[in-house]
Amino acid sequence: MRSSSLIALLSIFLLLSSITGFSANAQTSNASLNDAEQSGKQATQPSQDSEDNTLPPLAASNTAGLTMQKNVSHWLGQLQRIVSGANFQVTFVQTKAGKETVPYLWRHGLLANGSEVEQLNLQNGPGRELIRVNDIVSVFEPDVAPYSLHSEHINGPIPTVLVYHPTQLLEAYEFVPVGRARVAGRSAQQIRIVSRDNTRFGYQIWLDEETGMLLKLNMLDLQGGLLEQIQVTTFAITPEPSEYFSRINASSLPKPMAMGNSQTRNHNWEVGYLPLGMREVKEDTRRLALTGQVVDYKLFSDGLVDVSVYVQPADDAIGGDLALRNELSTFLTLTDGKAQVTVVGEIPLQTANAIATSLRPRPEN
Amino acid sequence: MTQQQEKLSAFMDGEIEGNDIIDAIKHDADLQAKWQRYHVIRGAMRKEASVAPQLDITASVAAALESEPAIVAPKQSRWRSIPVLGSVVPFAKQSGQFAVAASVALAVIVGVQQYNQPAPTEPFMTAPTIAPQGGLAPVSLEQSRALPRNDMNEVLERKRKINALIADHEQQIRLKQAQEASAEEEQVEQVNPE
Repeated sequence: MRSSSLIALLSIFLLLSSITGFSANAQTSNASLNDAEQSGKQATQPSQDSEDNTLPPLAASNTAGLTMQKNVSHWLGQLQRIVSGANFQVTFVQTKAGKETVPYLWRHGLLANGSEVEQLNLQNGPGRELIRVNDIVSVFEPDVAPYSLHSEHINGPIPTVLVYHPTQLLEAYEFVPVGRARVAGRSAQQIRIVSRDNTRFGYQIWLDEETGMLLKLNMLDLQGGLLEQIQVTTFAITPEPSEYFSRINASSLPKPMAMGNSQTRNHNWEVGYLPLGMREVKEDTRRLALTGQVVDYKLFSDGLVDVSVYVQPADDAIGGDLALRNELSTFLTLTDGKAQVTVVGEIPLQTANAIATSLRPRPEN
Repeated sequence: MTQQQEKLSAFMDGEIEGNDIIDAIKHDADLQAKWQRYHVIRGAMRKEASVAPQLDITASVAAALESEPAIVAPKQSRWRSIPVLGSVVPFAKQSGQFAVAASVALAVIVGVQQYNQPAPTEPFMTAPTIAPQGGLAPVSLEQSRALPRNDMNEVLERKRKINALIADHEQQIRLKQAQEASAEEEQVEQVNPE
């Protein structure tokens, strides 16, 4: 009798274990599938990189360092010449990690009357159009009245300093020639751009061998992961400027706004640490547009990336220390006693932290 | 007995005419059982699938159940001395056994359901949950309602402040170049294009 009930129990256990074993098997097989998928993804990404990372041996780059450096400046000079001196039309796409790809149209021309014109057009959605005539950039956006600003370049996804004034970057960044590659169906020269003190994100650019035009730009984090990519899809260099520019009537564009030079008292604090080659560009005390809070503000730039530092009283602060990643930007806020320090910019978190913790009271003179 | 077994065996093999053995089988339950067992064995040895060993558990389970109270509850409990309860207790015990069996079945079902569920996509709460106030706080309907609303406001306020800073940073970058280029001290004058 007892044995029969034991058997019944046993059979139930068997049933249970077979079910659980089964499902456990199913789960593990699922997990292994996921693993395979992930490893597949991982396998595809490095293959992209490995194609790019055709680095010359270190010894070779050392012995031939001078010619290499000459080589890089030659290519950058080519790039500079074509973007400011040729009639061209370029379409490119911009991709950020975890974001949709955004297509752009970029035109540049030198008109017969001697004026230089440039156009950048966002091609998806309601769009955004920027037109530059000499040193005035007019911006046409949905929901905002058109306006103009004084600027020598259109500030688009492609870093202007890199394209127009690459020599300004030499203090902060090192340009390393990598070699030939094929991009957008053309032979290209690849150049790596790394910050000399390794505190900022790195870049890889590919320049067309024939014309020097930028074909591709990668922005990489410190681990070499891709953050942002700009890839040229088509480009054409024409003897005459595009038809489009003949339709622009410079006099009908909005008049440029003058930027009120905000004269403000000096802040009673200063930043003790800055990455190599980064400088203060601007300093003021303002109200934030969205909340009306008063903040002390400093803007720093090394040409490629801009870093904002905000200082505000702790009592209307965000509350609590916080580190966020917004697209490529790092957002770090630290509260110390009576003040809250916030650092925003496209820099690694370690660098943002180093800047934020280096704030100190300005010595009284 | 052994003689009849031999006869049975021989009859199965078709070696003898079995009129008398058939009669014997008809009247002898032992022989009937043997008849069945021999056929099962033969079927198994010939690997005939059609002859399955029909283990008749029902009879033995019934028998076991029948004899169970006698084994499980052999000694007189003091409930038995009370006339009404005495007859109730065994029934309670039996129902207890049913309950055990039912709960095991339930466990099986629950187990099956659990293991068949798809893996949860979000195993952890991402939103920070704030623990309720300590037990010594004065409890009122008003307060217990107001608390979560305050938290919500706080979170929203925080988000607003973060967004304000990020938006400002982006605006400053956009204006940076213009700032550098604008040397003139013109007043703001916006003219719409005709």
